[in-house]
Amino acid sequence: MKRSRFLLGTVAGLGVTASLDSPFARALASPALPGLPGSADERVLVVVNLQGGNDGLNTVVPYGLADYYRYRPTLGIAAGDVLTLDAQVGFNPAMRSLKAMYDKGMVAIVQGVGYPAPDHSHFRSTEIWQTAVPERYELTGWLGRFLDDAPLPKDNLFNAVAVAPVLPEALVATADVPAIPQLRGYGLASDRRPGERQAFTSVVAGDARFPFTSPYLGAVARIEEHAERGAAELPKLVGGYVTAASYPATQLGRSLALAAQIIGSKLGTRVLYVQHGSFDTHVSQKATQDRLLGELSDALAAFYDDLAAHGNDRRTLTMTFSEFGRRVAENGNRGTDHGEAAPLFVIGGGVKGGLYGRHPSLDDLDDGDLKYTVDFRSVYATALERWFGRSSRPILAGTFPALSFLS
Amino acid sequence: MLQTAAPSSFRPAGPLPDAPLEAYAGPWNVRLAAHLLRRAGFGGSPETVARFAAMPLHAAVDALVAFPASNALPEVPPDLPDESGLVASIAERVRAAGAQRGDPELVELMRQRRQLERHAIQSAQLWWLDRMIQTPAPLQEKMTLFWHGHFTTAAIEKGVTPEEAVAQNRLFRQYALGDVRELTQAVSRDPAMLRYLDNVRNTSAHPNENYARELMELFTLGIGNYTEQDVRESARAWTGLRVQPESGDVTLVERQHDAGAKTFLGRTGNFDGRDIVEIIFEQPAAARFLATKLLSFFVYSDPEPELVAELTKTIRRHDFALQPVMSTLLRSNVFYSARAYRALVKSPVEFVVGSYQLFGIEQAPPDVLPALARMNQVLFYPPNVKGWPGGAAWLNSQTVLARENFAGALMASKDVSGGASWLLAGGPGRPEDAARKLAQTILQGDVSNTASAELIGYLGGEGTSALGELSGENFEERMRAAAYLTMATPAYQLA
Repeated sequence: MKRSRFLLGTVAGLGVTASLDSPFARALASPALPGLPGSADERVLVVVNLQGGNDGLNTVVPYGLADYYRYRPTLGIAAGDVLTLDAQVGFNPAMRSLKAMYDKGMVAIVQGVGYPAPDHSHFRSTEIWQTAVPERYELTGWLGRFLDDAPLPKDNLFNAVAVAPVLPEALVATADVPAIPQLRGYGLASDRRPGERQAFTSVVAGDARFPFTSPYLGAVARIEEHAERGAAELPKLVGGYVTAASYPATQLGRSLALAAQIIGSKLGTRVLYVQHGSFDTHVSQKATQDRLLGELSDALAAFYDDLAAHGNDRRTLTMTFSEFGRRVAENGNRGTDHGEAAPLFVIGGGVKGGLYGRHPSLDDLDDGDLKYTVDFRSVYATALERWFGRSSRPILAGTFPALSFLS
Repeated sequence: MLQTAAPSSFRPAGPLPDAPLEAYAGPWNVRLAAHLLRRAGFGGSPETVARFAAMPLHAAVDALVAFPASNALPEVPPDLPDESGLVASIAERVRAAGAQRGDPELVELMRQRRQLERHAIQSAQLWWLDRMIQTPAPLQEKMTLFWHGHFTTAAIEKGVTPEEAVAQNRLFRQYALGDVRELTQAVSRDPAMLRYLDNVRNTSAHPNENYARELMELFTLGIGNYTEQDVRESARAWTGLRVQPESGDVTLVERQHDAGAKTFLGRTGNFDGRDIVEIIFEQPAAARFLATKLLSFFVYSDPEPELVAELTKTIRRHDFALQPVMSTLLRSNVFYSARAYRALVKSPVEFVVGSYQLFGIEQAPPDVLPALARMNQVLFYPPNVKGWPGGAAWLNSQTVLARENFAGALMASKDVSGGASWLLAGGPGRPEDAARKLAQTILQGDVSNTASAELIGYLGGEGTSALGELSGENFEERMRAAAYLTMATPAYQLA
């Protein structure tokens, strides 16, 4: 039943009828798993970017590895304080809310996520995670390519929304994705002088035949038109939603509250992107990271309460990522420098909770850094194939084995 | 391999002109003078544009690259609050109570200090915007903005005080068109930079790589021109630099400095930071990196390798002295080619400062600060150490709406009628003439025929709005609205 609804959603959009067994359908899309909640064309992916490079070792703490305390003489979190997950690892004590979600089976932890030849620059490594192309400089993002590739209604302005002041590179491709940091103040101010609002569209849209050429002209005109139309429509579209959870009064709390509102207002939004940080803890890491991890887990808990109250929790999958973890040994300033592999979280949406991937070894390091055990593109491939029912190969420019947290 | 078409280089279409850096000898007019002033400044008032158009091109460029020895503008924010008393009280409290987290008196003092620092930064932001608006040396302020986005440092973060942020700003102004190698040496010992990229915490026992890495990656060479080993060796050379708490002087603390031999970019010696900068500037990549950045900021995005190679030669010929380099660039064929014309997106600061100049507003009102934040540019707070990416990154639904709303609010300002006599000069005439004046003054005629017809319709009260004819009563209101509409067109977003 769910599978057939999915097929209608994808194939009908292209004006083609096909059954799952036809070679055409298989080429078009690899099927989302039938056991998962919701039809594939209602499912939403929320990406939470932990900006600045989150220290994985003090997030999912390997308290069972003696070397951990040797490398972290001041920053090491005592075994007694860790929120235990198994005999080897446990959550940072600031993450009680996420631990509670984990205990309900809602959280998959993928350990040791990274990529070959890791880059220690924030910018380059962020680009690599956002484009999913480590080998070269790619101008489109992996989510942008998904949006272009998927049979989504091209006239919907809200197929994806960045709840952020700047459009992240992950969402850059052909489609315009609005960046909406908050609803308040989003839109054109009301009429200041008689008639100007009415004249606005005709004057500003005018036509694109300006008496000069510019590589940016088309982009500016298009974004202006989309922004004005989208901003005029958005409040009407989301105005009926009633938030059903008490979010923490943090930036991330506000961002996720808006994300839940957009999901609950059924705008056809498939991808949302929020950001949190900065986790760039070169100095006095503990206070900053504990606060940020606490904010993260409290905001995610409120988010899923809100989603659940509206029946949207099981069609919403949330994934965190950070551009890198940090060096294994702390530095001389009770901080940590840029490192490599780290864990990430996949939440909700019918994930099979638990630990995935192998925790990187602490006695076989890559010049002081953790060696990755799971390529981040396998996590992306899992979301693309099993959540959205798309073939990941054209989007990720390669084949990466899906993980089993969605099955 | 990827199926979607890559959207975009925003490099202009068509071939590079011949002899791209040779002096341009074609027609010179108001349109090109306005282009020069947008790039080498912030746009300027209609009078300034007319004055530059009336000069020969070479004189116009000379007037921009030679800064007056002094001007009447305040050298520091006139109302920068003094936080030294609070800093001393905090230090005393820490000594008295120990650095107890949660000590209520200390928490209160820290809160007061944060508040004072926020006010100080706001003062500094308005001070700098006023300088940009009023300066007789627009290129000096433009280069200061360029360097601020290049050698990025965010105020308050990492203990950078407002005074240090302002001192760094003055350093950029001092070296605006100076020797880039010397500027890099000076920035490497600038207190704000030392704090922001953790070089004040870099010790021989625990080298901190932050500055060493960004110095090469973002400030001088670019990725791919050094190894991870070079970063580590450079970090050792930078160990031991400290900002003295009382004087603010920067000193090298010998016992925290690693004086041993380092192998850096193929050379070995007991290098310190000064040697590192010298070695970096010997690399061929240094001039190429700077050439790419200057072309992308002043001419157009994604400049082609041939053009970069030409400017690289110019930079090397002048041994990193920037004044002759910019002088060459601002009078070059490529700079006045159709491919460079309106080929950049105005940054929010260019957008607001240019708009103030256009309408004769000499002081930025405080509400410009939240408006700039909505457009995604906050002075003294680049988004990260890579600075503002510019170009298409300025454009998304949120930022273009913020620009349009800024223009709408500006045209509601009382200051406009006093400062911009051109807007209402001549009184209500024919709607066609009013529309032409707006299109010429605001956009040098870069308006589409449809938009022009719609503006005439709006001014004349025709079409959908049925406002009634243009008259003495409605003239000012109509002109203000029509100016707002003109500033909201795509062309006005482009530099």
